Amino acid sequence: MNDMRLIERAVDMNDTKISARNVQVYYGDNHAIKDVNVDIADKTVTAFIGPSGCGKSTFLRTLNRMNDTIDICRVEGEIKIDGEDIYDRNVDPVQLRAKVGMVFQKPNPFPKSIYDNVAYGPKIHGLARTKADLDAIVEGSLRKAALWTEAKDRLHQPGTGLSGGQQQRLCIARAIATAPEVLLMDEPCSALDPIATAQVEELIDELRQSFSVVIVTHSMQQAARVSQKTAFFHLGNLVEFGETGKIFTNPEDPRTESYISGRIG
Amino acid sequence: MTDASMGAAVPRQTKSILIEDARTKKRNAAERRFRAYGLAAICIAVLALIILLTSVLGNGLSAYKQTFLDLEVALPAEKLDPKGNRDPAEMAKVTTLAYGPVLQQSLVAKLAEMGLTTEASNKDVGEMISKEAAATVRNYVLAHPELIGGTVEMNILASGRIDGFFKGRVTMESAALDKNTSPEVLVIAQALKDAGIMKTRINWDFLTNPDASDQRPEAAGLGVAILGSLYMMIVVLVLSLPLGVAAAVYLEEFAKKNRFTDLIEVNISNLAAVPSIVYGILGLAIFINFAGLNQSSPLVGGLVLTLMTLPRIIIPARAALKSVPPSIRDAALGVGASKMQSVFHHVLPLAAPGILTGVIIGLAQALGETAPLLLIGMVAFVRDYPEAYSSSTGLFGDPSTALPVQVYNWTQRADPAFVERASGAIIALLVFLLCMNAVAIILRRRFERRW
Repeated sequence: MNDMRLIERAVDMNDTKISARNVQVYYGDNHAIKDVNVDIADKTVTAFIGPSGCGKSTFLRTLNRMNDTIDICRVEGEIKIDGEDIYDRNVDPVQLRAKVGMVFQKPNPFPKSIYDNVAYGPKIHGLARTKADLDAIVEGSLRKAALWTEAKDRLHQPGTGLSGGQQQRLCIARAIATAPEVLLMDEPCSALDPIATAQVEELIDELRQSFSVVIVTHSMQQAARVSQKTAFFHLGNLVEFGETGKIFTNPEDPRTESYISGRIG
Repeated sequence: MTDASMGAAVPRQTKSILIEDARTKKRNAAERRFRAYGLAAICIAVLALIILLTSVLGNGLSAYKQTFLDLEVALPAEKLDPKGNRDPAEMAKVTTLAYGPVLQQSLVAKLAEMGLTTEASNKDVGEMISKEAAATVRNYVLAHPELIGGTVEMNILASGRIDGFFKGRVTMESAALDKNTSPEVLVIAQALKDAGIMKTRINWDFLTNPDASDQRPEAAGLGVAILGSLYMMIVVLVLSLPLGVAAAVYLEEFAKKNRFTDLIEVNISNLAAVPSIVYGILGLAIFINFAGLNQSSPLVGGLVLTLMTLPRIIIPARAALKSVPPSIRDAALGVGASKMQSVFHHVLPLAAPGILTGVIIGLAQALGETAPLLLIGMVAFVRDYPEAYSSSTGLFGDPSTALPVQVYNWTQRADPAFVERASGAIIALLVFLLCMNAVAIILRRRFERRW
């Protein structure tokens, strides 16, 4: 039995980063997520699409337990990251969130300097021993987030002084500075103009090299452009999940087809 | 279909937009009226402020000036050191009662030397000198016993009536009806002033002297009251800032929303509206009768004011915390900060300016509060400076009084000179408040500059 699980886990390590089984989410009496089963692969971009209020953001937030901050929210079922149940009683959500970073819909840099924004995560997790280490992490993160060239001369100016697109990339840099394994993005481009969006999308594609990225988006074009896997949510149900190409060209479920062709949502 | 029904219900506007129609006129008139109300309200407020300031400054500034006279005081040995051995213990047995006539003698001699003749009796002339002056001279003599037998040049207080005469409070007409002075004495006073012996000068002693009895308003000062208020503010700040902010942070960020926290919330709001005198009774019952702390002490005053200030700090602090955008909390949690880290690293610093404003307003209210202090005995007449720490009464346990109580106290005294003193005390109180607000503004700037 034990041996069996070891083998299973070895297989999981290769392709599945997060596996969700029978996940139910309730807001008080409201059943927001119904029986979702999904396997999110490592080093791929998975897009969640669906009409407003379908539960895709809620589901995303269950993946790093950001829903814990909402008193009335209740999660049932099983979500495993690398085979470990994240809703286990022994799991500290703080450690989990260091492992599963998050970027939000609205750019929300701390009202501190660019440097402090990026350095905050590594500081509280003790990732840097010396100032030089910290500098290196900050530079590396900003480089990965394609913000280094723009920000290197103004590292000690407030992050809130950047433009919207730059702020969002700063938030991405902040999220990847803690060296997460999974990066959750909740509509990261909805507040950005097309140019900034293109930059962020390019960035997401690069981030795929090192992280498993889960992105919630309202733009089907964006999902088609950046993701390898797509999940379509509707009214709290995971309607369809599969290769992005297949979902967009040859969906199995009629609801997916209606949404993609613009008839619902 | 929708278009058709719309067209039927709403008639088309056909008039030119260059002409105001009746509705627009009405709306614009309403707006103009509203602006006028606003302007009127502000004008009334400014007018009230100006009246207040002119009245307080007009009455009170003169309290910071006082009439003194330079007098060569002859110190006859037979009166001041009857045993003649210059022993301080023996000399201390001579009370101020003996020094009064000595001063009177010196002044009468001075008048004779100047060639001033008067119908006023020597006793009346002696009353030009403050009763406080006898104590001043006595202390000086006890400190310098070798001076006895000679003369010493001293700068001593003139009495309140004479001081009032130079400030315009006492006139020849009022002096004629006054038992404590007479027109003849005022004539001499004027002559002494013309001769440069009597001078009205700035008197910082008003800020440092303790209170004085009814008979000598000229010597009364705010020293004890300022120290008492300062000690109380220290107690209030030290207790209510951490307690209030901690309570606000806990209620706003950590407490579960249930009926119990709702109950606490309602009660905090209610406590903020409880009349302050009720806190005084509470303090009397708990801190003095039950806990056995000293009456009239800044410690008890500070504790009572802390109780009163806490809800007034918690409410604005909670509002300030609430106004921090939730996205900041999400951002902190998203990078793996714990709840406490997100609160202390991000939310609290962002709310700090608002919290500080609340704290300062709470402290300012506490500073101006009189009613609860009356009940815990701070209305007493206190002549000794309180000490921050004394071995017999502990920290802040010495009896003292407070600025607003001193004002209340002085307005009840009979001598009109105390009216001026009370206004002067109000000025000191206002300056105290302005300083606190200035500190608040500076701190707020500091905090905001950090981002």
